[in-house]
Order: sequence, then C-alpha cells, then structure tokens
Amino acid sequence: MVNKEVEKILPLVQKPGRYIGGELNSIVKDKNAVALRYAFCFPDSYEIGMSHLGIKILYAIANERDDVWCERVFAPWHDMEEEMRKNNIPLYALESGDPIKDFDLIGFTLQYELCYTNVLNMLDLAGLPVRSKDRHDLTPIIVAGGPCTCNPEPMTEFIDVISLGEGEEMYDAFFDLLKDCKKRGATKDEFLRKVAQMPGFYVPSLYDVRYNADGTVAAVTPQDGVPATIQKQVISDLDHVHYPDKFVVPFIEVVHDRVVHEIMRGCIRGCRFCQAGFLYRPIREKSADTINSQCRRLCDVTGYDEISLSSLSTSDYTHLEELLDKLLDWTIPEKINIALPSLRVDNFSDELMEKLKKVRRSGLTFAPEAGTQRLRDAINKNVTEEEVLRTARMAFAGGWTAVKLYFMIGHPTETLDDVAGIAELAQAVVNEFYRNPDKPKGKGVTVSISVASFVPKPFTPFQWEPQDTREMLIEKQEHLLASVHTKKINVSYHKVDISFLEGVFARGDRRLADVIEWAWRHGCKFDGWDDSFRFDTWMEAFDACNVDPAFYANRRRSFDEILPWDHLDFGIRKQFLQHENEKAHRSETTPHCRLQCAGCGANKLNGGHCDAMRQSMV
Amino acid sequence: MRCVRVWFNKTGTIRYISHLDLMRTMTRAIRRSGIPLWYTEGFNPHPYMTFALPLSLGMQSLCESMDIRIEGEITNGEILTALRSAMPEGITITAVAEPQIDPKYIAYAAFDVDFFGISDVSALQTATETLLSGEHLLVQKLGKKGHKKVFKEIDLLEYLRSYSTALSDGVLRLHLVLPAGSTTNVNPALLCDEIMKCADGGYYVITRKKLLTKDMEPFA
Repeated sequence: MVNKEVEKILPLVQKPGRYIGGELNSIVKDKNAVALRYAFCFPDSYEIGMSHLGIKILYAIANERDDVWCERVFAPWHDMEEEMRKNNIPLYALESGDPIKDFDLIGFTLQYELCYTNVLNMLDLAGLPVRSKDRHDLTPIIVAGGPCTCNPEPMTEFIDVISLGEGEEMYDAFFDLLKDCKKRGATKDEFLRKVAQMPGFYVPSLYDVRYNADGTVAAVTPQDGVPATIQKQVISDLDHVHYPDKFVVPFIEVVHDRVVHEIMRGCIRGCRFCQAGFLYRPIREKSADTINSQCRRLCDVTGYDEISLSSLSTSDYTHLEELLDKLLDWTIPEKINIALPSLRVDNFSDELMEKLKKVRRSGLTFAPEAGTQRLRDAINKNVTEEEVLRTARMAFAGGWTAVKLYFMIGHPTETLDDVAGIAELAQAVVNEFYRNPDKPKGKGVTVSISVASFVPKPFTPFQWEPQDTREMLIEKQEHLLASVHTKKINVSYHKVDISFLEGVFARGDRRLADVIEWAWRHGCKFDGWDDSFRFDTWMEAFDACNVDPAFYANRRRSFDEILPWDHLDFGIRKQFLQHENEKAHRSETTPHCRLQCAGCGANKLNGGHCDAMRQSMV
Repeated sequence: MRCVRVWFNKTGTIRYISHLDLMRTMTRAIRRSGIPLWYTEGFNPHPYMTFALPLSLGMQSLCESMDIRIEGEITNGEILTALRSAMPEGITITAVAEPQIDPKYIAYAAFDVDFFGISDVSALQTATETLLSGEHLLVQKLGKKGHKKVFKEIDLLEYLRSYSTALSDGVLRLHLVLPAGSTTNVNPALLCDEIMKCADGGYYVITRKKLLTKDMEPFA
C-alpha cells in the first residue's frame, strides 16, 4: 500500500491507478516473516507490464515460497517520475509501497532493446548507482532475464547476474544461494562467483572481452574458473511445471486484459527472420486437459470474460480442435470469448473456422511477412499466395469484411519488386472479397497491411546480415505506398529510426554501455514510445562516445567472426544457422520440424526430447 | 428478471481508479461472485449495470450505488454475501435492496473534505470560513460548448447549499452540500482548490457521504 507522501502526488498525475497496487489477487506477505524481498521490475509502463504473461508466471512461482516475497514494479510515466523526483520519493514496490533499494533482489525482464534506458532510470529512481561496479553491497543484487538476454552484452555493465532461459525452475537454487550468502554475511563478490557456477547464470563481470583493431570481438575469456559457455535452461514438461492459479487483475485498462494461456512453447516453423522461433526451442506442447482446467480456474478467480490462447503459432498446436471443443463446452454458457492469435494460413481448416464463428467475432489477422513467393521462400515463411487467398475466401464466406495482413520490409535479398508484391497480394485479397457471390450487401472490404522493418537478431540465420539502412527502408516504404492503388487497402508502418536503434542493440557489444548511459543521462527513456523517442539525442550519444552505430546495424559479418553472444549457448548450433543462411540466399526452403527434423540442436537442452520430433516419428 | 440496487463504499487508494475502471472492476467482481446475472439478448450479450452518479477520480464515497439485473431465484441477502466476498480491497458492499428512487431525481450531494498535512489548521479554518461566508467566490470551470472544451467563470457561493467546518486531531474537516446530478453538478474540488491557496502545502481527501433529492431526501 502506498504511503502518505505518494498519496499527496497521486492527484497530480495521469492515471494514478497505475501506482496504487492493491489489485485483486496481488500478494501481500508479512515483511518480517520472509527471508528475501524481491522486486520484479518491468521496465515499461504498468499497462504494458501487466499484459505480460511471464511476469504473472514468475510472480506466482517466486511467491510460492514462504521465505520470499516477490512484488511488482513498473516504470513510472514521465509525469509521475517528475513528481517522485521533486518530492524525493524513491521507486517503490506496488504490494508494500516500500522502497526497492532496501530489497535483497531486483529483477528486470528485458523484453525488447528499447527498454534499456528505462532499466537505468529505474535503478536511479530507486536511489542505486546504475553501474554494477559501483554497487558494492551484496544486496540488492540486480538480475535480468527475458529474450534480450540472448545478447545482453550492451547491458552487462549495469546488471550483476543474467539468467538465461526459462525462469520457472531456475529460481529455487538462486534464492537458496542468496539467502545463504545473506545469512553468512558473504560479499557480493563471493555470491557472484558461486552463482556463476550454477547452470544458466551468466555473471558478465567474470568474463573479459577483448576486441580486434577492426572493432570485432577478439576473445571472451572466463576468469577464475567460471564456465566458458553458459547454457540456457529449459523446463521439460509444460504439464507439470507450475502455472499460476490466479492472475493479478488490474483496475485500470491494460493492453492485454484477459486470461492468457500458453499452450505450447517453441515453434516448428523455422522462419529465418524470427528470433522467438529459434530462442524458445525445443518444441513442448501442453495437454488439452491441463489447459482447459487451468483456464477454467483462472476465469473463476479473475472474473475475466476472455481467454487468449498464446503460442508462437497457435494452429500448429496438435490438439487445437480437441482443446476448443473442451473450452467451448463451458465458455459459451458462461459468455466467455476465446481469442486465437497467431493462426497460420496454411493449416486453417473449415472446422476451425466453424469453431471460431462460435466465439465472439474479432478481427482476422494473418502474416504472410513478404510479398512474393521468392522472398517468402528465402525467409522460409512457407505459405503460398493460394493459401493466403483460400483463407481470405473462407473468412469472407464466414462473414468477415476486414482482414489484417502483417508484412516486413528489409528482409535479406529483398528487391523493390518484392516490396511491390506486398501491395499486389493485398489487392488480390481485395479482389477475392468481390468474387464471393454471397458477400454481404452494401458492405465494403478493408484490408489493413501493417509493415514492420526487419531487424536482424542473434540466434537466427540472419544474425550475420546487414540491416537495411534508414534510407533504404524509407525508399521501400515510399515504393510500397506508391504501389497501392485503392483506398480499400490501409497501410501502416513503423518508424525506421526506432528499428535502427533496435538493430544496433540487438547485435551490440559491451562498448554500447557508455552510449546507453549517455543517452539516458541526456533524457532518453521510454524509447519504444513514438512520443518519447529522441533520435537526435541518441545520435549525439553515439557521437559523444565515439561509437559508430552502423558498425552494429548495417555491417555484414563473416561466418567466422566471433559474435558478441557466442559464449552463450541457446541450444541452436551455429553451423545450422549458417546452413540456413546459405539456403536463404539460394531462396531454398526448409520443411517444418514435424515433416523433417532440420537438426537445429536445441533438443539437447531437453535431454534429446522435442515434441515435434516425437510426432514426426509416429 | 429483476433489478436490484447494490450499495457500496469506495475508500482508500482505490479512489484513484476512474469510473470506467470501476465499471470493469465491478463486472469482473460480479462474474466472480457467481450471482445469476441477466444478459441483454442482442448479438453481443452483456450484463445490465448502471451507476446512480459517477464519482470523480480521487474521491472516496460512502454512498455509491449500482443497479444490476438478476435472473433466477436468489435473495438480496444471498446477493450481498456473494458480492462481498468477490470485491477487491477498498470496495465494501453495504446493502442490496430494491431501487426506491430513479437516479434522475438526484439533485444534491453531501461531502466531507479532510485537509491533511496543514501546518496551521486553525488559520486555515478561519480562512475557509471567511472565504465561504463572503459575497462571491469566482472560479474558472472547464465546461463544454458543443464539442469544444471552454472555461467559464462561475460563482461557487451561488451553488453552495450549506457548509460547516470542524477541527479534530489536527485535521480540518469541511462539510459541504453542492448540486449534483445530470442537470447541475459542481465538483467540490473546485472549492477545495481555492481553500488550498490559503495553505502552504498539504493535501485534501474528499468523501461523498450522501446523495440527496431536491427536497433533501436521501437517495434510496
């Protein structure tokens, strides 16, 4: 609960409901009865953070332990930060209202590169030095996890410990060690050396990075006997891992305000641009019965009237129809809507369409990702134009009049013809609507195309590729707009400046720490928000720190270059990624994992098991 | 199907959630409570729920009510018990009853305002009395002219139906009755902000105590 000082400033800020805590199902413990206090920080606004499934899972797991109290912390919006600084109110945790500076553990989840300045800002608001080397005490120890930790190098100066992989089963050993060290009065240094020996924990200060004259990495050298590589940890069985039996229900409207259920981890598709598709391997499915009973319980305790089934490719979940039957049995009478994001066009069946019509109607979104078959082959997005059109036909026959299509520009090997192909494909979908003899009278069609700019990411086949320069991306955006000839097609696209910065940090190294700190000290934060993003300040930061951003974003790497993240093992073999890259340049596809195992190597993380392999054998 | 009026208090930090947030919170709480709601029969069935008079963000209240429609056999006592156990902290269900008066007859609201963290409360009490017993108290009020938002000047004392002040434990409490409802509505914060100009620092908390008809009968 917030204190009087906070109450005084709440009337002065927008959406004070973000800062009050006390939401239904939030967990309050007796602070004197726990051994460790843990501030779980999401370095973005409350609305974004509370939409995130990972925080719900990890919050529940940490709080399962009687000796740990895990609380939530989000980045205060600009107006709140200003009032907090003016009134000397340090960053506090929502459940207790206590300053997180006094906690034992502060954890950040790094969901995307543009939240990095918010991490620094939150540490500073808490009253802590931003650099790891300037924090001498054992507690609070600063930990980071999340997808960006596959290349955490730009942030390694600020974070003490980085946890690689799926947190569900990594917590216990970490808590035990920290608890023990705290009790014995051990030093931070001793703790770091111990934790570095535990699987999945990366202590960057114990790895020395040297660079070549051309700026590339010469070597990453472990010190004092810590392991040379750190391997990502995975959970083996989604059915038996802890899943929260309650969600905190926010008062204010957040982005995803519903029951979210993860039905499968990993993806069989192997789209070459998609980092998540490789990072979350191997494939693990959850059983329909487990999902069904957990969803029901979550609806009961939250009062939500919507369930979203989450995965990287929902229609690839092998028991989807069985699951929908089970869910619809009780969700229809209880007037609960089911949302199915991430459907694919190539396995979208009539039966699935029939079931979708029973749930409340929302928009239909598909992601062809590229405009021509040649380019879709190069990026291994194995869908054909005919499959896109067939799905559109089914959707229109089912009464839908609006379809959303996701694309990216800037894929490796892309030409202006491929860009024009996006407009042509959208036009073909429009034409399909008018070919439908039963189309609703007096209703037009809207095809919205959303065009993101491709950012090459670590642990993908495109990790060696140059990102398109801003000039190239702008030219492609303009070419696309010129290729659209009807108002029935709406085009939206991303700001290229933000994508550029994302590209720099995604494949950056430790020398970017100075840039991040400089930019933050000169006012950069909430960089993922268009209104807050200050590109000019970022460019000044690169200048001031004598760092060339194009070196990271727009440079082609050779296959034998040591990449800044090579000492981190996410299960995927580098050889496999190189092979996939070479196939991309020949526009050759790779079948999905159930048709034929491509040998990425990620099953080694799970004792050789992969659900996709198991199914391909029967 | 029958309509019941659910009475509740909204106190503590939950006062910082808006009316829209409260509606969402209540919808979910009712679902959790499992009471048999009546749903509209349209294409997009939704429960029927209407609030007597929305409460401004930041205000507490001891007199909130919402009307909901119930289907099936359930007593008011059972509804009360079921709803009580489903509410988040800060929302307390006080009664469930048949609606007596249409919310359109609400004409006034009574408020208590507590001023905290004031260095000299008796000076502020005197200043408040002087301010409220004067001839005029002109303030700028944000109003609407068509779709445009415009400031217009109003004299608060013209609208102030009654007031009194009291001191206890170093806290100044101001009791106010102001017009409320769909025709004329005056937010007590306008008046409190004027009073705060006479103080150096501190803050206030407004609590809506009662809704009244034009004859000063309690809304029920």
